[in-house]
Amino acid sequence: MAARSKAVQAAEALARAGQVGAAVAACYDALALDHRDAHTHALLAHLMLEGDFYDEAISAATLAIEIDPDCSPAYLALGLAYDRRGGMWDQSVLVWHELAEVVPDLVTAHVQLGEAFAAAAFEEEAVRSWKRALELDPKEARATYNLAISSLKREGMALALPLFRQAGELDPSQDELFFALLGVKEGLGKPIDPARVKPNRTARIGAAGLALRDEDLFAAAELVRLALDEQPDDGEALALAAYAYLKQEATNEAMACALRALTLDPELTTALYTLGVVYAKRTGLNRHAARVFIALAKRASSHALVHVLLAESLMGLQRYEQASKTYRLAVRLDPACVRARFGLAASYLTSGRHAEAQWEIRRAAYYDTKRQGLFWRLYDAYAGGGEPS
Amino acid sequence: MSDDATPVAEAESGPFRNQLFPIGVDCYPLDEEKRSFSDWYDRDLAGEFAAMHEARISLARIYVSWKLFEPQVGQYNDEAEDRLGDIIAAARAKDVRLIVAFFADDRFADMNEVPWGKKRDARTDEYLIQREIALVQRIVNRYRTETMIWAWELGNEAFCSGFASEDTLQAWATRLRDAIREVDTARAIILGVDPETLVRETGVDAGPAIGVFEYGVSHVTAGYRAYAAEGPVTHGPATYLDSFLLRSALRGLPVLADGVGVHSLDVAAAEEAAYVRMALYSSLMNGAAGVMLRRWRDMAAEKREPYFRDPFEVLVGMNDPKGRPKPVLSEVQKFARVAARLDLRRYTRAPERAAVMVPAERYEPLPSLAGLYDPRSCLQGYIAAKEAHVPVGLVREGDDLSAHMALFIPSAAKLRSETWGAIAQFVQSGGSVVLSYGGGDADPAVREIFGIEFLGDHGVRRIVSCRVAQPGLLGDLTPFDVRLDLPHYALLGNSGATVVATDATGSPLLTLNQFGQGRAVFLAAPLERAIAQSDPWAAPDQVRSLLRTVYGSVAGAAGAGPVIDCDDPSAEVALFLGETDDVVMVLNHSAEAITPTLTAERVVAAVADVRGGKAAEVGAKAFGVPLPPNGAIALRLAYA
Repeated sequence: MAARSKAVQAAEALARAGQVGAAVAACYDALALDHRDAHTHALLAHLMLEGDFYDEAISAATLAIEIDPDCSPAYLALGLAYDRRGGMWDQSVLVWHELAEVVPDLVTAHVQLGEAFAAAAFEEEAVRSWKRALELDPKEARATYNLAISSLKREGMALALPLFRQAGELDPSQDELFFALLGVKEGLGKPIDPARVKPNRTARIGAAGLALRDEDLFAAAELVRLALDEQPDDGEALALAAYAYLKQEATNEAMACALRALTLDPELTTALYTLGVVYAKRTGLNRHAARVFIALAKRASSHALVHVLLAESLMGLQRYEQASKTYRLAVRLDPACVRARFGLAASYLTSGRHAEAQWEIRRAAYYDTKRQGLFWRLYDAYAGGGEPS
Repeated sequence: MSDDATPVAEAESGPFRNQLFPIGVDCYPLDEEKRSFSDWYDRDLAGEFAAMHEARISLARIYVSWKLFEPQVGQYNDEAEDRLGDIIAAARAKDVRLIVAFFADDRFADMNEVPWGKKRDARTDEYLIQREIALVQRIVNRYRTETMIWAWELGNEAFCSGFASEDTLQAWATRLRDAIREVDTARAIILGVDPETLVRETGVDAGPAIGVFEYGVSHVTAGYRAYAAEGPVTHGPATYLDSFLLRSALRGLPVLADGVGVHSLDVAAAEEAAYVRMALYSSLMNGAAGVMLRRWRDMAAEKREPYFRDPFEVLVGMNDPKGRPKPVLSEVQKFARVAARLDLRRYTRAPERAAVMVPAERYEPLPSLAGLYDPRSCLQGYIAAKEAHVPVGLVREGDDLSAHMALFIPSAAKLRSETWGAIAQFVQSGGSVVLSYGGGDADPAVREIFGIEFLGDHGVRRIVSCRVAQPGLLGDLTPFDVRLDLPHYALLGNSGATVVATDATGSPLLTLNQFGQGRAVFLAAPLERAIAQSDPWAAPDQVRSLLRTVYGSVAGAAGAGPVIDCDDPSAEVALFLGETDDVVMVLNHSAEAITPTLTAERVVAAVADVRGGKAAEVGAKAFGVPLPPNGAIALRLAYA
């Protein structure tokens, strides 16, 4: 493979910096020097995709593939452009199929292929693709959500709900919510020695939060224990303990601690969160979960995920209309919330709003694939002449 | 009171159809994909015309197949000509008038693929153009006195997208038009392309070519929808796209809202009906001269792997492949009944004195991104004005502004120097302008007109913050901080303007300057573009509210505000003024039921559905109008 010219590299640098306008201009400069450079066309396709200009992205990616049929980033851009544009599922199936063969371990290709099959009403092929994605990555949330949606369409909500729960549990942003409520943005990134923490409540509770954030449950438990030894009626410490138990799947203990914390401080959002999650995990307690999440939504209304949790419990109660409204609120707060998008899609399906459900699934894919930043992974591997890592 | 909620008994004596607002439908030569070009209209059209008549459809577009009519050079197919005669006779029997389209392409019937053409381009090849003229004159001459033919049409998007330049399009269109005029001096001639969608697809501006015809068309193509408003069709931007393109096509000619309907078979029948209802009402409310629905009957597509749907937009019709009516047909019938009761000789639309300006940079090709960003920004600006209930149109940069009192310029990166002069004159003589910063350097005229010093572009921001410095000056603004990606933010110093709102750090967000007799408002961020480029279906309410509040306030103060006010942004209102009474049309752009309160300038004595029925007494300026999801209603207002 020929080395990339300086003009292409300049375009790349601008594209990586997110300067779309300048990068597009640089791509055209590069094309003026060599109009058959697959890198440049692939870059241009990516930039057009960033601006949601799908026809232009399709045109540039197609050219890149014509020039070099092994240009994997161009396949990615082409497939995403087809999917995001809509109405081009047949082409999309072919592209994702191709990419899944070129880069067999690319999980997203299988997820997207499944979605393209589903949009084309090939349910069985779609399910096979999502299952293949889960074989490659069992924590692939979107594949699980898609399987849940598929189950909802074929078997109804009762059988789909466990899959939705399973997908929700794969969502790492739920832990982020807890720490956002706690006010801990980042952990220390190194172990905390409880013996070296200042022997006062504030320091111990703060350090326990940091330890939890770093998933150092032993240090966190020790610090919480020390705080509770000093003051057994410390709601915040109990809420941390509840969360630590929850992370160890000790739901009874988590529930007990959270309930005790809420008796001491009924407005403690961290305890409300943990109690709600515990209730939601246990069958038959959706009504309780909904009540707790309503209380949480009143106190932390700016967090999209709080509304998602509430909506999920409402779905469990078969209150689809209310769930739909709550999901919509979550989407307004965070349009990129994949979990809210899939939940909203499910709620639309219960009322026969199929086109809108399909749109929400597509938007979930839109944000999920944007977040993944796969283009650069494939591009760098392609530019380096090797397989993507 | 709403369209669906209360059935209204129809008066026996009412008009059957509105002669000044024809409702038509495309009647394609083939309804099954497996048919060949020689099966051109080889079916029972009499039955179809009868069903159209029953649905109050007064127009049908039929397509002439060049390939069938002229199988050999200069030799015409008598059988095809007889079949055309039969079609016209069948239409006459059911009082359905026809638009006869030449050189349109439906991508199925191979209508323009004459085998003797030897792959030469029918748009530019002199010999083929001569043959086209001969065919057109032959048919027009034969039917030039036929009263059932309403108009002749040349080309459509599928055909015209093959033109590589304005000049070749204009030359072809003018020659064919002149050829028809030699034979038929009476009937209207139409060039069947929407200038905005064609320029988007090909970069070719059909505006000058359309200018010599009698009608324009607006047409939401599948490609344009995917570009401008891809998403659910029953709420959000997609519900405004038909009227946006209609407004864009209004260039001094009456415009048919063409190709009304959904593009994809995966839209549920109820959603399809709701969308078509909105598009029909929206067309009437925004000044269309008539509507043409996309297709009479669904195309029966071949099932094939891996996917048996076809992306071509001509697939979806008002009846299913077996000819059974879909819900959309009853919507059309209901709408026709309403439209029939609106006498457009007695009622005229309330004047529109506000406009969204489409910058000339919109026509720039890549690598300029303005051509891609601007139409989307303009659509969002248009929606904001609609949500503020401002009667609004579109003007292009360079158009005469003298008919307007308020001008919205959404997120333009640059305007021509002569435009700045025109804006300065416009504001100085009493007009009001809202301009949002679109990136790059500010023109020196900004300082003079807007009273601000441009200090540079702060670049990308993830949060939009608003702090109100001067409450009430530009409507009822409220402070907020919301997540929305802003591509630019202008840093401003004061040079005489009043800072109405700032961001969280005190940097001006919104300024107001009195310049001459008028007012100039500057928005430091391209909010319209930010909404368009983020997620128009999930844009933060606070930002949309800010935009519509500013637009509404500026238009209101300039005398370009709503003639009849409304408290719900998702309701679109159009007022038709009569001598003794008015007609108000209200359209719900959301998929939820709403009850907007309308407030008139005078006390309304009573309101009645235009279709008839008992009037409801009001006795106040304000009254509520319950509307179902995507519902619409037309009410006659009698004043005290």
